[in-house]
Amino acid sequence: MKLEAKAVLLIVVVAVFMFLGSYVTMVMPLTDPNLYVPTKDAKPYTELEMRGRQVYQREGCMYCHTQQVRNLLEETQRYGMGEEETYKRFGIRALIQAPPSQPGEYVYDSPHFLGTRRVGPDLARVGGKYDNSWHINHLRDPRSTSPGSLMPAYTWLFDKAGQPTGEAIALVAYLQKLGTNIKWREEGVEQAKKLQALNGTSTTNPPATERKDAQ
Amino acid sequence: MELHEDKSARWFIYASVVFFLVTISIGLIMAIKFIAPDFLGGFGPLSFGRIRAIHTNGVLFGWLLAADMGLCFYIVPRLAGVKLYSEKLGLATLGLWVVIILGAVVTLASGDTQGKEYLELDSVLDVLVTIAWVMFAVNMFATIAKRKYEHMYASLWYIMGTLLWTAVLWIVGNLPVYSGVNDANVNWWFGHNAVGLIFTPVGLAIAYYFIPKATGNALYSHKLSIIGFWTIAFLYIWTGAHHIIFGPVPTWLQTVAILFSVSLLIPVWTAVTNFYGTLRGKWAQGNYVVKFFLAGTTFYLLTCFQGPMHSLRTVNQIVSKTDWIIGHAHMALLGGFSFFAIGGIYYALPKILKRPLYSEKMAEWHFWLTFIGFLGFAISLWVGGFLQGLQWMDYTISFLDTVKSMFPYYMVRMFSGILIVTAQLMFAFNVLKTARGGNSSIQPSIA
Repeated sequence: MKLEAKAVLLIVVVAVFMFLGSYVTMVMPLTDPNLYVPTKDAKPYTELEMRGRQVYQREGCMYCHTQQVRNLLEETQRYGMGEEETYKRFGIRALIQAPPSQPGEYVYDSPHFLGTRRVGPDLARVGGKYDNSWHINHLRDPRSTSPGSLMPAYTWLFDKAGQPTGEAIALVAYLQKLGTNIKWREEGVEQAKKLQALNGTSTTNPPATERKDAQ
Repeated sequence: MELHEDKSARWFIYASVVFFLVTISIGLIMAIKFIAPDFLGGFGPLSFGRIRAIHTNGVLFGWLLAADMGLCFYIVPRLAGVKLYSEKLGLATLGLWVVIILGAVVTLASGDTQGKEYLELDSVLDVLVTIAWVMFAVNMFATIAKRKYEHMYASLWYIMGTLLWTAVLWIVGNLPVYSGVNDANVNWWFGHNAVGLIFTPVGLAIAYYFIPKATGNALYSHKLSIIGFWTIAFLYIWTGAHHIIFGPVPTWLQTVAILFSVSLLIPVWTAVTNFYGTLRGKWAQGNYVVKFFLAGTTFYLLTCFQGPMHSLRTVNQIVSKTDWIIGHAHMALLGGFSFFAIGGIYYALPKILKRPLYSEKMAEWHFWLTFIGFLGFAISLWVGGFLQGLQWMDYTISFLDTVKSMFPYYMVRMFSGILIVTAQLMFAFNVLKTARGGNSSIQPSIA
């Protein structure tokens, strides 16, 4: 029957169209080595970090925190290190930009947590930014470390005495791992030191103007 | 004429209305948490990170897809001119669907999630959804196969497309084989097309069926409906990567996604021209059914103008990752496709039950409260989100300061949410009263 043939034709053409677009935008990236070869310094997650990653997933952290420094100047600045931070930790004054996220940093991530919304800041480069106790305090009472934050207090990651459970400790271990598949803090500081030596600029004076903490 | 039993249609509609009320109430709880982060705090299953998935999945699958399926059960037999292939199969599909939704609430509340937007459901539930969809598709295709009328009206094309697209998207999107940025790319291949190739075509099928019915006007142009169908079929599938512009995916992939996203103006404008053309002369005297379709068409046009514009790099730089996008997503799913589904339900339910709607006045109120509530919700998020995006472009403004600047917009959003929830309470009440019937002589008439 002619019309049955039409319905079948509709199904066939729809399928061909779908295959075309999916092949180019999905299958071709899947077979692109640039997207699955790890970066030089990339390391798989330890068991503890993996447990932390599962807590991150269970609590839906990815709904409010992205994990991608986009290829935009303002993001490499915001999620990089300010003068205050470099002075405190490395003894030099420098603004060190965070490198934009690269596909090779994510190869051990499944599921991905790239995210789509920033109710809180991006976390792609948060590893090494704060010490562990800051993270524990932040999870227990977000507004104690970050006034005005909208994050819930994760009371169920703490015991009755207010001590962090294994889950909280694992979560912090995971957060400290984020962004370290590129050694950008160390390399950035080294580069800044070289540059300052070359220019004869002082590297040890405290920052003249204290920049507001960008994160 | 007792050709159509409409049991499956009726019960799918009832279930969807209940889920609608529940999931938008959860949306309101989330909105309150943006004002008072400790509201309902200290308890994991009610924390934002868990209930967000219940809200999104609940609205997508519990409300909208269920309502759309119910309306397909109504539309397809009528356009085919024959009885539904099997009411028993339809009711079994509904039973399974209710099990899936309840299972989703329990698992998501307990933190059992696959962690990817709109693909959160546990793999067991994924399999059940697949089975339910096959049951639904068999029923639809079998009804279409034995149809009496040779000509296939646009709605049937769009519904058949939806049946195929949904199956492929759901199965391929849920395969547990991706990692890294490819996992994100597949996530958005699925995520964007869940809107573009599931809710768009079935939503348009509903509008194509009910707008001529509700207005008494003939369809403005059959040719446009066919052009719209084939451009949707060709263009949508390429656009997923516009969710990761400036992100860690190849530039060519982003550019392809942008080009196809802008091309989406074509199918949108064909549909909207057709709907406005069909609504001609009925703008002023239209009842609540016409109002829902008219407003739905307008929101569909606006959201689908925003979408291509967001994909442009200069715009994306500002609005991406902000609350602007939340406003945009709600214009598509609440302002556009939910309005179509509500309009369809208001038209179909009295026909199914062969008695008038319990209260037409309440339906008018339902429209206006939802309409105003939605506008307050969306406009506050667009303004606030855009301003926050601009602040993010200056790294010397601390992130927390940009969060604090959102407070007034979050207040407006919350109060708009109260309006929307109140309106849906009236909707559910009206549907319940109409369903329970009683003596039609005591129906309040609208003067």
